Amino acid sequence: MTGPGPARPGKIVIGTLGLDQHEVGAMAIGQILVRHGYEVIYLGRFNTPQRLAAAAEQEDADLIGVSVHSWEYAAYADELLARCRDLGIGLVVGGSVLTEKDQAALLARGADAVFGPYASEATMLRQIEAVVRRVRGGDDDPPALAHQPGPGPGRAMPLAGRVVIVTGAAHGLGRAYALELCRQGAAVVADDIDEAALKEVTDAAAGLPGSVHAIACDITGADAPRTLLDAALRRYGQLHGLVANAGLLRSGPILQLTDSDLRLLLDVHLTAPFRLLRVIGGYWRAESKAGRGVEASAVLTTSAAGLYGFRAEAAYSAAKAAVAMLARVGADELGRYGATVNAVAPVARTRLTPWLGEAAADHGAGPAADAAADPAADHGDDPLAAGHVAPVIAWLLGPAARNVTGRVLEAGNGQVSAPSAWQPGPQFPLPSLMSPEAADALLPRVLASAVPPPEMLAAQDPRGA
Amino acid sequence: MTADDAASSAAGIPLRPFYTAADASGGYAGIGDPGAYPYTRGRMRPLAARRRGWIHRELSGEGSPRRSNEQLQALLAGGALGIDVIGDNPTMSALDPDHPMCVPAVGTTGVSLCRKQDFVELLEGIPLDEITLSHSLPPAFALAGQYLASPRHGIDPRVLRGSAIQPPLYSEDCSYATFLPFATRMRLTLDSIVFALREMPRFHAFLEDTYYISDGGLDAVEEMSLGFLEIREVCRRLLARGVPVDSFAPRIAILVNCRMDVFEEIAKIRATRRLFARMMREEFGATDPRSLSVNIAVHTSGLTLTAAQPANNIVRGTVQAMAMAMAGVQGLEISTFDEPFRTPSAIAHQVAIRTQQVIHTETNITAVEDPLGGSWYLESLTDELERRIDAAVREMEELGDAGTLAENGYFRGIFLRGMDRHSSAVQSGDLRVVGVNEHVIPPEDDRFLRDIAEQRFEPDHAHVERIRAWRPTRGAAPLQAGLERVREASADPDADLMGPIVAALDADATIGEITGCLRQGAGLPGDPFEFAAARGTRA
Repeated sequence: MTGPGPARPGKIVIGTLGLDQHEVGAMAIGQILVRHGYEVIYLGRFNTPQRLAAAAEQEDADLIGVSVHSWEYAAYADELLARCRDLGIGLVVGGSVLTEKDQAALLARGADAVFGPYASEATMLRQIEAVVRRVRGGDDDPPALAHQPGPGPGRAMPLAGRVVIVTGAAHGLGRAYALELCRQGAAVVADDIDEAALKEVTDAAAGLPGSVHAIACDITGADAPRTLLDAALRRYGQLHGLVANAGLLRSGPILQLTDSDLRLLLDVHLTAPFRLLRVIGGYWRAESKAGRGVEASAVLTTSAAGLYGFRAEAAYSAAKAAVAMLARVGADELGRYGATVNAVAPVARTRLTPWLGEAAADHGAGPAADAAADPAADHGDDPLAAGHVAPVIAWLLGPAARNVTGRVLEAGNGQVSAPSAWQPGPQFPLPSLMSPEAADALLPRVLASAVPPPEMLAAQDPRGA
Repeated sequence: MTADDAASSAAGIPLRPFYTAADASGGYAGIGDPGAYPYTRGRMRPLAARRRGWIHRELSGEGSPRRSNEQLQALLAGGALGIDVIGDNPTMSALDPDHPMCVPAVGTTGVSLCRKQDFVELLEGIPLDEITLSHSLPPAFALAGQYLASPRHGIDPRVLRGSAIQPPLYSEDCSYATFLPFATRMRLTLDSIVFALREMPRFHAFLEDTYYISDGGLDAVEEMSLGFLEIREVCRRLLARGVPVDSFAPRIAILVNCRMDVFEEIAKIRATRRLFARMMREEFGATDPRSLSVNIAVHTSGLTLTAAQPANNIVRGTVQAMAMAMAGVQGLEISTFDEPFRTPSAIAHQVAIRTQQVIHTETNITAVEDPLGGSWYLESLTDELERRIDAAVREMEELGDAGTLAENGYFRGIFLRGMDRHSSAVQSGDLRVVGVNEHVIPPEDDRFLRDIAEQRFEPDHAHVERIRAWRPTRGAAPLQAGLERVREASADPDADLMGPIVAALDADATIGEITGCLRQGAGLPGDPFEFAAARGTRA
């Protein structure tokens, strides 16, 4: 490991809070940081938030590090966080008394990094380095941010402290979502049936401000939503977001699609997101009723096929249309518990869209497809790279989209839009017990007066996904 | 311990592949029988006393005095034979619970004690005439509080047994800071020892606690050399006051640490006994056998316990406790399996007491004194540790006056280096720790016992309110007079502090108020945080 990179070494104020006299942890991390090129201002014991902040301000430190061995820290955390925010510096908290729940709570309150008993030296150094970069990026080089919506040091982390489940996270869009959420600071519980590929996502997330907790689980199982929720709560103590992304390709016209393919298709695309909303929505309701309501968000995955129809893909199109409506009604139902529900229709080159080009022509999890799914990877100007959709998902999960719910966004291939939902057409009186003749006369007029449905998509159309 | 072929002990003593009779250099005369000088093998006890073994106790104290009293009663009901009470962070710092810096910490890491009534409530119904009460508390106040509370429960202070830790040299640098200058701390130590010799003659008023100073990462040689340095400093000052050595030396006890290199830890205890006996006889001129054979109790190391896989801590505690039983310690406390997370839960207390009971009643370890005596390896280690500890003490004493070293941060440097060395060794894997740098399992699979370990309780805000409501009900005149006497005594370097402290506590002054007056008498701000700030950062 190297120091924080910039010419000037990272500078950190370290101490314990209140009457917590155990310094072993503070000493240890202080020495580790010194060995890795940081400048450490060691304040020892009996600190207040004021004292730590005053030292940080005087020393122009990048962050404050607090080692906790007693629960007193909880009483000082908000004050300390507020002072760090005011100073525009980071806050890192560590100690073996910090349970997973404590860690999640500190992150949710705004701490930049939290280390419990399992944190390794490498993890701590990596995360502290990321915080220093972010703090420096925020005040040293703001114009660069505006020109660089993509990944890079110094990006804002609107999802810091938020815990999000992403299903189907091993490949394609799901992988891109997981990594982008991490880049924005989220803790991602990543689910997929492809355990090996999931491991690669975890590896790819190493070094990002957030984290990936991989769970290999088949989303069509009735217990899967519970399994994922439990995993999130065990690991992080809280759950803020869901990205129901898992999909699969079962292709075929009506006359050819078998029952088993139909069942699988509906299970993955419709039943699974429905069950996820039921189980996770139930958790959000319980939290809300217990007075612990969180800013919750669910993002479902619909498709242009579900919005406009896709030639010879009736079952897939129907399932995706249902998902759009699931988001609409789910938004109404879960809104009272503080949750937003939206759907995104992504346009991207993935394993499900082989017609979009050579990158995934083999239907496989080719490295090319996954490289394209990583917004940090150099994918040139390919507008169909999955990484371009990921920031839209992240935005819907973030603080800026709290008032957005029941909506659909279509994103990819260089464009983003909010497609219109079904609208009532011009209304005509319906005669009572209309005769066949009257129907012949009336209904063509009704149809002619309405806006015709948009053109159906076909494999040649790059919107198809 | 390294994985190299050239093995060494945890304290860095080179080890050979095996040992022979030639390695125990001193011969049997240098070891001696149990009960005979130089007491390497401890005392010789009658069979019944030997069978009773050591005092089973567990560190306790949680929340208000009443809540802690329930905890003590539960421990005694579970078979504990002694009690060791530790204060919460405010109490350890000699501050009152309603001080703004204290409220978030009241009762969460020990008992909250700040007034006479608190001691009365803590000790209600505790058979102090039958069991021993050890105070891991600021000693002068612990002794004064127990002295005042015992008669309220019908117990003559003269029958009290137990111990009070005396940390004048190291407390400010190592977890037990009370924000008092060295001179005042040393006066409190000497005055409270003399007070106890007079008023509580069966009590060990001078417990040298090497546990708390060493559990940041010191090795066995550093631990015991610092311990002996402090014992010698206090003894010299008592002798300088004209207190006869055979009057106070029997009231000295030592509370040591026990880490995982168990042969070294056993050898450390035997070396300590021998060093103590030699020091008392040859340097301080003691002749009473009770002055030469020191009581040693042990607290197993919290630093060796891990937050990962907490069940493994039960195994560590068992291994350490068994080693200490074989070393023949007089008292034993196991750091409970939930120690990395919290003060002990009731079930963790029970497991620790049961561990002691299983070792005591089922293994027959107590049948024979010093069962490992004569092991060539152990005797060689004992000799080498004795030599190294003694050399380290001489080296430090040559550096100058201990009080000056304390004020100049010399000892703090030792503690900080120890912490750094330990954490570096764990991080690098040089110190192998199961579940931490070997045999690690993912956190989501590591659930066993975590629910207990991670339980929380809130600071005892009700007790804070109780103290706030109680303050105005006190008689102002005797209170102010009592505090003024403390202030005056503190300002006079020749005055006794203990009399005024007992009187002030009896007049319902609080520990925080009394230490404030001690500071003012020494020309310092009454509030400790102004004092701490005035000293500046201490890196």
